[in-house]
Amino acid sequence: MLETRLNFKLLEMCADCGACYNVCPSCLHIEGYDPRAVIRDILAGTHERWLTSKHIWQCLECHHCLEICFQHYGFENAMTALRTLAIKKGITPTQVKKGWDMFAKSGRLGEPSPMRKRLGLPEPPGSAKEEFLKLHSLYRESRLPRKGKV
Amino acid sequence: MKEFALFWGCTIPARFPFLEKSTRLVMDNLGLPMRDVEGFTCCPEKSLVNNVDHGMWTLTAARNVAVADEMGLDLVSPCTGCISNLSTVKGELRANPNRTDEVNTLLKQVGREFKGRAKLTHLVPFFHDEVGLDRIKNRIKRNFSGMKVVVHYGCHMMRPYHAIKTDDPLNPKKFDNLVRALGAETLEPSTKLMCCGQALDRVDQHDVALHLARIKLLELKTIGADALVLCCPSCFLQFDNNQNLMEKDGEKFGIPVLYFTELLGLAMGLKPDELGLKSHRVDVGPFIEKWEALVQKTRIEEDIDEELNKEAFG
Ligand code: SF4
Ligand code: SF4
Repeated sequence: MLETRLNFKLLEMCADCGACYNVCPSCLHIEGYDPRAVIRDILAGTHERWLTSKHIWQCLECHHCLEICFQHYGFENAMTALRTLAIKKGITPTQVKKGWDMFAKSGRLGEPSPMRKRLGLPEPPGSAKEEFLKLHSLYRESRLPRKGKV
Repeated sequence: MKEFALFWGCTIPARFPFLEKSTRLVMDNLGLPMRDVEGFTCCPEKSLVNNVDHGMWTLTAARNVAVADEMGLDLVSPCTGCISNLSTVKGELRANPNRTDEVNTLLKQVGREFKGRAKLTHLVPFFHDEVGLDRIKNRIKRNFSGMKVVVHYGCHMMRPYHAIKTDDPLNPKKFDNLVRALGAETLEPSTKLMCCGQALDRVDQHDVALHLARIKLLELKTIGADALVLCCPSCFLQFDNNQNLMEKDGEKFGIPVLYFTELLGLAMGLKPDELGLKSHRVDVGPFIEKWEALVQKTRIEEDIDEELNKEAFG
């Protein structure tokens, strides 16, 4: 299943390379964050254990690996694929679940603060909530692929 | 200059309205043709939305770009995340006409069409490239000569480069140029380009988020930075809010965090209160006081010079 999402040829290079360990903030500063261990398991088809690991959520999506990578690929793709898989199995961090629910309900992550008025800021422009909700339901009925190939 | 739409995103109006305020104030001061536009939703945020549903992420971003496309306006945002997300989707769709057709089939049913014509720019490269350093310098009442700051770009101001293309993704310069144009010295800590780490707070790993913030703050303290200057609400949350939380627990950093628009506003002669600096969690006072003291010092030096001149030349 991960084969359809990830480019295994490129990941094989990753498993040997590791050049981005020197710029990846999580590799440098978070104990136990080791993308190549994850990638080797993906290649071997034994990645299941990572779905419950906090490490797959520690990729900051800072794109630093992508930019220095000679393949222009990067660890983050492997992490994103596993996160999506984890969510599908219901292993979702509470904050992610909350954020998604708020987004799906309102099209926003937080409403403009009442404080704005006190600061003399103009009325916030409308956010097209109805249109967003309609689009979301059209999408759910559609066949637009939910997962991108990365 | 062509009219442009401001894309505020969710976080600034919801959590940091004072950052919206300073952004509006400096844009007014420069007389920029900025417009508020109806109909934008969340950009949407990547780590929350894209991990759950890539299709909905794409569709929502495409719709936002379509809103700007229809009005023939370019977008400028004071949030790095918004620019990175919108640009990434715009790039993906422009490179993939089939996908664009699928997206437009849905968008048409709500009366929209993604064309991908709107230019999407973060406020910092926009000020650097479109407004220009000269025009900005002309509005400065008092510069920051004598002040030492660190610029924190925020990863998504320039990454991914293939989608954003406004600055070098590994060695960006534009933010430094702007801050130096305001007269401040910009320091180069080893953690300069290190990601703020705020994303960890969104995945239930608060302690790890603090750990990453701490690394940078300690280095800034060691090298004697007067402030950290940034232009992203997520980085602001990380360094202002989380620094404050750690200080409440007894750690000491004392690094004031300034949004670029606030720094610029101060240089333009706007008052700290007007800019909402009181709303910061970490006290900005030490930065302002040091800056004020520098004026006093220059004044005294000027007076002495005048006295000496008088004595020497009568
Ligand atoms: S995107 Fe993730 S894996 Fe890549 S450098 Fe940043 S934190 Fe590391
Ligand atoms: S992402 Fe690129 S640079 Fe990093 S280990 Fe893989 S191949 Fe090497």
